[in-house]
Amino acid sequence: MGTAAGRSVKRKEAWDKATGNAKYTDDLPSLGHLTARLLTSPHAHAKIKNINKVAAFGVKGVKAVITGLDITALCGVLLQDRPHLAKDVVRYAGEPVAIVVAADEPAAISAAGLIEVEYEPLAHVLTPRAALKPGAPLLHDNPERYKRMVEDIYPQPKSNIASQYRIRKGHADTGFALSHMIVEENFYLPPSDHLAMEVRAARAEISADGMVTITTASQSPYSVIKQLSQSFSVPEGNIRVKVPFVGGGFGGKAPVLLEHLAYIASSKVGGRPVRLVITREQDMAAAPCRMGLEASVKLGCDDTGRLKAAELRFWLDCGAYADIGPYMAKSLASNCTGPYRVDNLYCDSLCVYTNHTYATSYRGFSHAEFTFCIERTMDELAKRLNIDPLKFRLINAVSPGDSSPTQVSLNPSNLGDLKACLKKLKPLSGWNGAVVPVDEHTVRAKGVSCLWKSADLPANAISGAMITFNPDGSLNLNTGVVEMGSGSKTQLAQILADKLDVDINQIHVKMSVDTRVNPEHHKTVASMTGYMAGNAVLRAAEDILAQLKTTGAEALGCSSDDIIVKGGAVYSLRNPLNKIRLKDIASGYKAPDGSSIGEPALGRGGFMLKGLSTLDPKTGKGQTAPAWTVGAQAVEVEYDTIEHTYRIISASTVIDVGMVMNPEAMRQIIRGGMAMGISMASREAYSYDQNGLLTTPTLRTYKLMHIGQEPDYRVEFVETPQEGSPYGIRSMSEHGIIGIPAALANALSNASGFSLNTLPLTPESLWKKSGGVSS
Amino acid sequence: MIASDFIYCRPDTLKEAATVYAKLAGEGKSPVYYGGGSEIITMSRAGSIAPGAVIDLKSIPECKVLEQNGAALMIGGAVTLRSIRESKLFPLLGAAAGRIADHTNQCRITLGGNLCGTIRYREASLPLMLTDAEVVLYGSGGERKASMLTIFRERMRLLPGEFICGVNIDARYLYAPFMHIKKTANEKIDYPLVNVSAIIIDGRIRAAFSGLCAFPFRSMEIEAVLNDKTASISSRIDKAADLLPAPALADAEGLSQYRIFVLKNTLCNVLERLRHDFK
Repeated sequence: MGTAAGRSVKRKEAWDKATGNAKYTDDLPSLGHLTARLLTSPHAHAKIKNINKVAAFGVKGVKAVITGLDITALCGVLLQDRPHLAKDVVRYAGEPVAIVVAADEPAAISAAGLIEVEYEPLAHVLTPRAALKPGAPLLHDNPERYKRMVEDIYPQPKSNIASQYRIRKGHADTGFALSHMIVEENFYLPPSDHLAMEVRAARAEISADGMVTITTASQSPYSVIKQLSQSFSVPEGNIRVKVPFVGGGFGGKAPVLLEHLAYIASSKVGGRPVRLVITREQDMAAAPCRMGLEASVKLGCDDTGRLKAAELRFWLDCGAYADIGPYMAKSLASNCTGPYRVDNLYCDSLCVYTNHTYATSYRGFSHAEFTFCIERTMDELAKRLNIDPLKFRLINAVSPGDSSPTQVSLNPSNLGDLKACLKKLKPLSGWNGAVVPVDEHTVRAKGVSCLWKSADLPANAISGAMITFNPDGSLNLNTGVVEMGSGSKTQLAQILADKLDVDINQIHVKMSVDTRVNPEHHKTVASMTGYMAGNAVLRAAEDILAQLKTTGAEALGCSSDDIIVKGGAVYSLRNPLNKIRLKDIASGYKAPDGSSIGEPALGRGGFMLKGLSTLDPKTGKGQTAPAWTVGAQAVEVEYDTIEHTYRIISASTVIDVGMVMNPEAMRQIIRGGMAMGISMASREAYSYDQNGLLTTPTLRTYKLMHIGQEPDYRVEFVETPQEGSPYGIRSMSEHGIIGIPAALANALSNASGFSLNTLPLTPESLWKKSGGVSS
Repeated sequence: MIASDFIYCRPDTLKEAATVYAKLAGEGKSPVYYGGGSEIITMSRAGSIAPGAVIDLKSIPECKVLEQNGAALMIGGAVTLRSIRESKLFPLLGAAAGRIADHTNQCRITLGGNLCGTIRYREASLPLMLTDAEVVLYGSGGERKASMLTIFRERMRLLPGEFICGVNIDARYLYAPFMHIKKTANEKIDYPLVNVSAIIIDGRIRAAFSGLCAFPFRSMEIEAVLNDKTASISSRIDKAADLLPAPALADAEGLSQYRIFVLKNTLCNVLERLRHDFK
């Protein structure tokens, strides 16, 4: 073991990114490419009566105009409910209706504007609860007849339910009967966007012998192969997917969308290379966004403040197509109580179609959303009981010996230590539970939230790593992980450097992914890179160590058990002064007498998730993830009681990361999560007009928090190792966001006295709560 | 990207600019004058406009002036918002310029572009209305001067082919006590929910507004009410809010009733903070 683990290491791609040299999908040379553009639906729900392509074909340079009539296949990672291009009906404003392929971008833009589509508007529905009412417009005639790609998805006939999950544990009725205090709250959270800096992009070409090459900004290159093969009957081996740097994903680049469309475009022009370009506005309205949520949360506790029962109903707004929405509903159900012990639990989690842009994974995979509902209700309960909110959470914090909502027994390894996080959060955030006056009409207040998250991956998801040597003895690390800004490849390099006891600068990381070369990594999602690819790297490191030891033993004439690999050299512990440098042994050893000894060292390691199951449809019993990550967060605001404006002073996170592998990089990714949570909770929403059209589909009106408005971010760690994970690390990349919207709402609820159960928390929304509209 | 081809001209003199405009207009090229280009680029990309020609004003010396010359501060139409702010020559205009868009865009957007653009807020107009600046225009008929209050009615009332050569501001007003408060929905770098700009001249308050109605305005009726020292501040504010020249806007930034609420609070802050200068 070396020194590379546990210290702050600069990202491997830092110089490339800081100098602007890093190349993203649409930065690559496009000589010889045709350009494709999309035409999208201007209606939330409408029949397509007719499409006239004649005028579009009149534009010079137009090679193809493709519509839904040209494609028979449906797609969808869980449920095949989505046409690649709308056919007969459009189900959301922004849905791709046609593709134009042209010699250049201006021609493609002009031609797209000349396609004449005749629509007949249909009634639309924009919220999940409205979509469940009798007589609501149905998005899909027979959702249960769509092909299911997984077992545990349950679309309901004659309804807008794409899937549903239930959790039944203990006896909720008994629990409420034992409760001294019961609180019920209702929530509405609108959809919003990922807004990665890099707009999605994809390219495709098909060679004369049928080989397909896709270049894409994707978190899921291996999924692109599988889904493309499924949709278009291309053998998987004939598909090659290349992913350069990805300029932010946040879950939004996990689904497969543009890759299919680029393939279709290329296939209609004889396989010529096609570059599919979408605008920021299409990236927002056409490509999948963050889920919306409606919820009703009922919690009961006894007179000591211990939770006795919970009745939870969640209606996840997945928009027009299921995509990964059902699994977000499942993941939500699996962790629905938040990190609290609740022995009597009733939870229904429904994934509901609406005429919104369809939803996909977004940082936290539904956890930030249900956490908002649970943590707001926890605060209301604490207020009624007159217990300090932080103390109330300590009383109820889930602990080893308890069981999860899906009845997994919890222990220090699979859970971590929430109480330690809460105790550390108190001094870190300066928690005092009070609302402190600043002047006549300004107060300072804090809000707290806990978080927990487990991943929700297929039970057999895999990862792999390969290691080769360079002539100077430095190493190349090759995995299928996509580098999209989280620094995960640097963490993998640390594991390898530490295991081989070489300097971190001796590890070279292959940044781009090429599925012809890199071993499969399921998807770069769910904060599972460290666990899955980390284990693969550990095994590859062990593999290459064993090879070095074998060659070393032969070269030094000793037992391989005596061989040490350390500090860039191989030697026998019986003769430490006789060192062979790695560069002299990595490709086999040339003995002083000129004879060749051993073989070149090539490391390989694979990893597959084990021991996971689906949930029992009746009770929800089952294990969907190896472990949880827990944490506690706080936000401090300064609030103007007259104007209802506020400033965020500080945001704090204490999180149990198992082991602090790269302190500064990890603090930074937690800060990034907090920033994203603050921006989402204070500013961001997809608002729709009465026709179901987005009112804010551009960055002129959809606002993110800009740099310079950041609060004081504070981050500390707790280290409870997770067994079976490299160095005991826990997932943590997404987690900084999870409790922040709730902590902000709790802080503002404390400051204002209003019960704030919706997002975003704009001054106008607070003014409305104050009775502003009627006054 | 801008999908259509266009002609690019960069005249060196005012006269050349007006002449080439007339020529291109006559050829049906729908020319536009080009200062910073931020609107031309974004609106062309969105397909809202498709100019056949752009005439770049940045090489014309008169359009790039930024200096105080005796009794007046002269600012060329092609001077960027960032330059105005950093010059510190007119702090109220500097404050307005520093809150339009972000730093990167302030380095591009010009004074003339902000005043003549299609985005309705045109916040740089408020300080110029408050000081009744002299606007120097240039067109096919040569130079023309007009007072800001007469030429800016809801928007700049330019003749076809005219552009803003520059503005002249009376030096006596440059450092007068002022307040500039821009309220946004929640993100600091955003269009105004309500922008209230006020200045004290000769013991009287002048106030101008953007974001509140569909156009920026300065209202003499509102100023008369605000200057009515016989009435309490709260009653003056209530009266002022009743004198808007058009209904308060209702859009993605906020409801009209909410805008009125923000207006009243902001006016209250303005009057409170200026009370030492404005008895």
